[in-house]
Amino acid sequence: MSAPPTDSGLIVFCGKGGVGKTTLALAFALGRAEQGSKVVVVTSHPLTELAVSISLEGLKEKYPQAAANLYITYIEAREVLNHRLSAVIPSAILRKAVLSSRVYQSLIEVAPGLKEIAFLARLRQLAERRRHEEDGETFDLLIWDAPATGHFLQTLKAARNFHTNLSGPFAMLGDELVQFFADPSGMIVFPVATLEEMAVEETIDLYRGLSNEIHVPPAGIICNMASPLLASSDQEFDDIYRKVTTAESERQDLKFMLDRHVEERSLFHKLEATVTSPLHIVERAPESGSDLEMLVGISGQVGAAVASR
Amino acid sequence: MRIRIFVGTGGVGKTSLTAATGLQTALDGGKCLVLTIDPAWRLRTALNLTSSDLQQKVDLAGLPAKGELWAALLDVGASLDRAVRLYARPKQAETVLKHPIYHILTTSIAGMQELMAVERIGQALEDGFEYIFVDTAPARHAFEFLDKPEFFVQLVTFPIVKLIGRTYKLWEGSAMQKLSHKAFELYTRVEELLGASLVREILDFFSVFQTVAETYANRAKRTLRLLRDPRVTGFSVVTTPFKAGRDADYFWSQLRDRRFSVESLIVNRVWPALQPDLPGDLPTALGRTVAWYQDVSQGHQRSLRAVFEKYSGKIPKLIAVPEQSQDLHGVEALYAIAKSVGKP
Repeated sequence: MSAPPTDSGLIVFCGKGGVGKTTLALAFALGRAEQGSKVVVVTSHPLTELAVSISLEGLKEKYPQAAANLYITYIEAREVLNHRLSAVIPSAILRKAVLSSRVYQSLIEVAPGLKEIAFLARLRQLAERRRHEEDGETFDLLIWDAPATGHFLQTLKAARNFHTNLSGPFAMLGDELVQFFADPSGMIVFPVATLEEMAVEETIDLYRGLSNEIHVPPAGIICNMASPLLASSDQEFDDIYRKVTTAESERQDLKFMLDRHVEERSLFHKLEATVTSPLHIVERAPESGSDLEMLVGISGQVGAAVASR
Repeated sequence: MRIRIFVGTGGVGKTSLTAATGLQTALDGGKCLVLTIDPAWRLRTALNLTSSDLQQKVDLAGLPAKGELWAALLDVGASLDRAVRLYARPKQAETVLKHPIYHILTTSIAGMQELMAVERIGQALEDGFEYIFVDTAPARHAFEFLDKPEFFVQLVTFPIVKLIGRTYKLWEGSAMQKLSHKAFELYTRVEELLGASLVREILDFFSVFQTVAETYANRAKRTLRLLRDPRVTGFSVVTTPFKAGRDADYFWSQLRDRRFSVESLIVNRVWPALQPDLPGDLPTALGRTVAWYQDVSQGHQRSLRAVFEKYSGKIPKLIAVPEQSQDLHGVEALYAIAKSVGKP
């Protein structure tokens, strides 16, 4: 099967903690890898932590095509900085002395934004490698499973902070990064939300931050873990609700299920009225089988959301 | 004096549970403070939280409260400004607050939030609170909050900053020979790597910031000692049913490695098992939703049983909090949760 064309350097899944960024990023990646695209996912979880939250057990046996095309990687900012250092210090002994010195270690730990800017530089390098298709090490799709909203926006802003507040090599790098990530052909962003008060508030803030401060308006917003009732129209739902609540014996259990959805529906409308990006729905998957089956189960819905851009 | 710290991954309801546990304790008596990072708007209203970093008293009218409940936002910028004004001489404070590195420091919340959490707990203890409930940033950041103060302490005590002190400018011209050849070589290399202007800005900043930092570091050391003392501090791991097994394993081992004591495991938002009697002419959408709900809620019960079985005897309190049909509204809703959480 031939891979569908992609024109963007980087597809980003971002949003509040716990809304399913990693799940959707992996589901999307898995779907595309199974269709034949070579996919790299940059996750913000160290791989040992990722293994705690989700498991791809059985991938090789059940989806060999996807397994061969899917790469998951974690960028350790400290390593990127160390790597830069190694390049400028020729002597191995001196290199080791510098890397292990407390001056260096403490400085990179507390210098605000330094790790973020190193991370962005590495991400850009990956995105560009994809574009230029040099030295055989190519792939079709780069996905960033971003950290939670605050840290995500702050990572993107780190570039500007360095550019505005300092001079020297990192300020220049900051300037280049600001330009790269503001270019829509460089990066498209999908905030992920769940239909709960806090998550929706944060999504609206994120939408505004991305549109007004970073100048990258979201390509679409994905409402994750929705109930199947969200597919019904307001009219249909009102009919159902009235039927249940006016029944001769009040059906408390059914009412509980529907009340949960009243909140969900009103938050969906709130989001709809506030943002201009299109909204996409991904239903909450029943937790019967393995993580892998769950990912495969929702990969179609996520793929459709990204493709409809 | 008791400190309770709530940890967990994002979106599991740490903030509500922190507030509810604080409320439960306040009902029994004592001066309680809930320190929270980013509550939802309605919870913020319930807790009477405005933008100020100073604690606000929560109105418990109508509840059988013997004690007091206070709440405060963990506002990084405000807490840091407050620390600077508190620990520095007026003229020094001015220099610090205007420094470009200070500007980056306050806007780069990832690192500072953790540092300031410890500072804020210290401030609260001095303000005379008997019970402090702390809502932490998600997952990995929660541990940075416990690990970072030590980095900070290291930074202000490392020789080069000590030596430079307030005579940084002078040192640049004349005092270099005081550094050993090796230390100087290292310093130059670090400067080359990170850019001389960045390193000098940082050193310059910390040379002025030093009084603030040392006072901060001393307090951070004292506070961390309290956090390590199981008679004073307990940790609560908050999770949701499907994440429960993995979260419990992860936080249990992370906290144990750091010698902190885990007091409770709270599984939040468990969907109750429901067997609704269905109307004869069931609309398709409703039928599908009921089946979907039961599927999810049975999964919840299975996860819950498994994790409670595994941790019974290891973690003293295992608590399940049922899903509410609606999001939190006001202190009454917190009270409802508080009852299912039980006494801390």
